[in-house]
Amino acid sequence: MISSDTIRGHLDAVILKLIIEKDRYGYELSKEISKRTNNNFEIKEATLYAVFQRLEKNKYIVSYSGEITHGRKRKYYKITASGKTYYMDKVQEWKEIKDIIEIFMEDIG
Amino acid sequence: MITIKEYVEGLFREVPDSQDKENIIQEIILNLEEKVQDLMEQGKTEEDAINKSIVDFGDVSEIRKDLLLSADGYHVKKNKINYTNNLWFSIWGSVLIIGLFLFINFYYTPKIIWFVYPVFALLWWPLAMFFIWLNNRKKGNHEK
Repeated sequence: MISSDTIRGHLDAVILKLIIEKDRYGYELSKEISKRTNNNFEIKEATLYAVFQRLEKNKYIVSYSGEITHGRKRKYYKITASGKTYYMDKVQEWKEIKDIIEIFMEDIG
Repeated sequence: MITIKEYVEGLFREVPDSQDKENIIQEIILNLEEKVQDLMEQGKTEEDAINKSIVDFGDVSEIRKDLLLSADGYHVKKNKINYTNNLWFSIWGSVLIIGLFLFINFYYTPKIIWFVYPVFALLWWPLAMFFIWLNNRKKGNHEK
């Protein structure tokens, strides 16, 4: 299982991408991440909620109470306009970083 | 056997109570309980499922730090005011004592200038306080 700082630095984008697709709640998101990466990457719940808090504080996402499960309300997250913009910036930034790093990453035969 | 509720509440015991704290605890409990149920459906016993969820949870310090900063921001501010107060107290205190030395020196023994010696020793007080104040201010700026 990969758990590198490189991924950590881009978790905001990973989570925003999944919330842009549709509104989601915490456990759903962590399941989805494991599924899409074929269990090669698993996000720690603690990290996930820290990212939620940060994104919400920056108004990139907003939360609301959804359907009731086990007698309690699930907390769903929804993307905002500035969240979308931030995500687009992140995608652009990643493309540039990728090009730069790739210059130096090659097998030495 | 520890329950999810006990575990999550334990994680946040040191955080002062606030609505934010209550919300996040409820959110984490709900999501973890769902995970436990999923794991049990995959054939794990309840105990195994809970243990795995707890092990997978990871390091909570980041959330805790955020909560401490938002719910308890005034603590940080209060400390800063205290350091400033300390500095002013030390300045005024030493000015008064220096004044006293000056008076005694020139009133009783005007021919011998000795007051500089205790004054030099005394100046360590505001100097130390200034140092602490400066250090604290730098730390505060970094946190922002």
